[in-house]
Amino acid sequence: MPDSLPPSPVRRRLRQGRDRLATVLVTAGGIGVIAALLAIGVFLAVEVVPLFWSGGDTQTVSPRALWSPLQAEDDLAGYRWDPTATLGTEEPARVSLLPLAWGTLEAAAWALLIAVPLALGAAAHSALFMSPRLRSRLKPTLELMEALPGVVIGFVAGLVLAPWLERHLADGLAMLVLLVPGLLLAGALWSRLPPRLQQALPLGWAGLWLLPWLLLVLAVALWLSPWLEAWAFGGDLRQWLEVRLGLDLAVRNAIIVGMAMGFAVMPSVYSLAEDALSGVPRSLSEGAQALGASRWQTLWRVVLPAASPGVFAAVMIGAGRAVGETMIVLMASGNAALMTWNPLDGLRSLAATIAIELPEAGPDGLHYRLLLLAALLLFLFTFLVNTLAELVRTRLTRRYRRLGGVA
Amino acid sequence: MSAVLRHCLAPWLLMAMLVAPQTQAEPVAGTLGTVGSDTMSGLMLRWGEALTRQHPGIRLQLQASGSASAPPALVAGTTRLGPMSRPMNEAERRAFIERHGYPPRELAVARDALVVVVHRHNPLESLGRRELDAIFSDSRYCGAHEGIHRWQQLGLDWPVGSIRLHGRNAASGTHGLFRQVALCDGYFRPEINEHPGSAAVVAAVTLDPRAMGYAGLNHLTPGVKALARRDADGTRHYPDAEAVRSGDYALSRDLYLYLNLPPGEPLPDAERAFLDLVLSATGQAVVEELGFVALPEARRLRQRRELGLGDAGR
Repeated sequence: MPDSLPPSPVRRRLRQGRDRLATVLVTAGGIGVIAALLAIGVFLAVEVVPLFWSGGDTQTVSPRALWSPLQAEDDLAGYRWDPTATLGTEEPARVSLLPLAWGTLEAAAWALLIAVPLALGAAAHSALFMSPRLRSRLKPTLELMEALPGVVIGFVAGLVLAPWLERHLADGLAMLVLLVPGLLLAGALWSRLPPRLQQALPLGWAGLWLLPWLLLVLAVALWLSPWLEAWAFGGDLRQWLEVRLGLDLAVRNAIIVGMAMGFAVMPSVYSLAEDALSGVPRSLSEGAQALGASRWQTLWRVVLPAASPGVFAAVMIGAGRAVGETMIVLMASGNAALMTWNPLDGLRSLAATIAIELPEAGPDGLHYRLLLLAALLLFLFTFLVNTLAELVRTRLTRRYRRLGGVA
Repeated sequence: MSAVLRHCLAPWLLMAMLVAPQTQAEPVAGTLGTVGSDTMSGLMLRWGEALTRQHPGIRLQLQASGSASAPPALVAGTTRLGPMSRPMNEAERRAFIERHGYPPRELAVARDALVVVVHRHNPLESLGRRELDAIFSDSRYCGAHEGIHRWQQLGLDWPVGSIRLHGRNAASGTHGLFRQVALCDGYFRPEINEHPGSAAVVAAVTLDPRAMGYAGLNHLTPGVKALARRDADGTRHYPDAEAVRSGDYALSRDLYLYLNLPPGEPLPDAERAFLDLVLSATGQAVVEELGFVALPEARRLRQRRELGLGDAGR
């Protein structure tokens, strides 16, 4: 065997050279990525500068216009995004970025509100309670959902889901309201079942045998919804919302965006959280159960804290994606640059604005630079979210390392 | 066969192609590149097809990225034909003159209009100038006293509730024209849903009896109803071919073709063949087929004469 012999000096030098080359290449690659990231930030910042300070006769936008509301009589006042109408004219610029930033965060918040409970619930169930066979099928399927292009999700949400929900608002609400009691009822019924039937319906397979029950609950909700609407809302939920709460319903609204984007964010949150939860050493949960903890207590007091760095990272990655997502918001939101708390109003995000307006904003114009400023803002948002995620994650990892937890 | 050889040969071949028809009565050949309006892309495509059918040697190359892309391409000389759905503004015209020393040649090639649409079951028939402004703007520069937010304010019992507004995105020519003409240069209300295309506006209005939107005339479908425009004296102008052609329907406009043509020089053959087709009866029939409106006959013939195309124009 040539390897067992002491290598000749030539060969040794060759190998050293190869090692050194590999090191250089890997280092260069790493530095290159960081440099590219910095370069993007620097490029955006440099391109944005002439928006505020210019040497010559070109016009600028005052920073005040970006953050403060317009001072005007009644209807014209407020935060407005209407760059094509006012840039380059004598009129006060209507280019406040606040409604766009608001829309971005609002959409991301609704998406997380919908995705995080579902994804974490699914992850906890499949990591701890589900039968391994079902889990080995379910996890790849859920991860496949991640491959769905945002355009497709946005299309379905904007053109199918939104009009349906607008016409059947009460049905949707009834389904949502009856789902939780329906599931609790299923749990209560199951615990009363005779042991033989319980064995036929094992908990590990609940994901499968609950499906018919879920369909039944939804059917009952659909059947009941006209009565519920008549009883609680005087027969017309939309009118009730408008008269009682002063809420106006837009067909494409923040809730629709949240549902669509929640659907898009869910698989990645689920996948990462599931990895973290199932990576918690068996010895920990078995120890807890041996000491008399119930499964529920084990989950809350032992497994979840031990896996918290990974779970937190999963949620933050979901948040990063929700903030930067473009096509879903563009197609499902209606793109009205509003700043309201009403979740039934439309919204407009930074990313969607850039996608819509950049192709027709002439290069080097004020509008173009404004959009680059929006891009810079978006870049900062995602950068902050990810940095925060990484900081908290390393902190938590350090704290729980002694438990034998995993990142 | 090396690329070098091809590169050396190409200009000569091209020259030969362009020169040949002038010396003999050969069929015209060549490639016409155009850059401009996406509203007119369907129109240009169909004209290009018809042109290739008449002169198998000519091909029309289309780049439709918006009206705003035509002037820079004309100035830089990358194209000699720029379709635009709005007239060139002063800055664009000045840039062209600065570069070439003469103004661009402007040709009106079709009539188009913006229509205000509602759901097909909506009882509304017409809107006045001020009403339209009060619905879509929050500036009300056309003179209305207060904004119109609900259908009841238009005197209707049904549909009930607020008017849901749909329109085009801010970068489009349609958005700009509507702002100028219908809002008296005012400002759109922020609640308007902005869609990336006229077809999407029409689709949204088709689904919702409480919706109102504006779109290009050629996007009308049976699912929506186009509203008439009411004059101060109460006459209604529906956006039909006659009213759009004469301009009685106030939201109508010309569609243009801008041409880089030094004064005094004759049209190059390929462009001559193309314009001959566009301003012929066949070319105008294509316009009508695609849902736009043909030019008034007198105007078509006058433009033919100005270009030296002869009066035939079948």
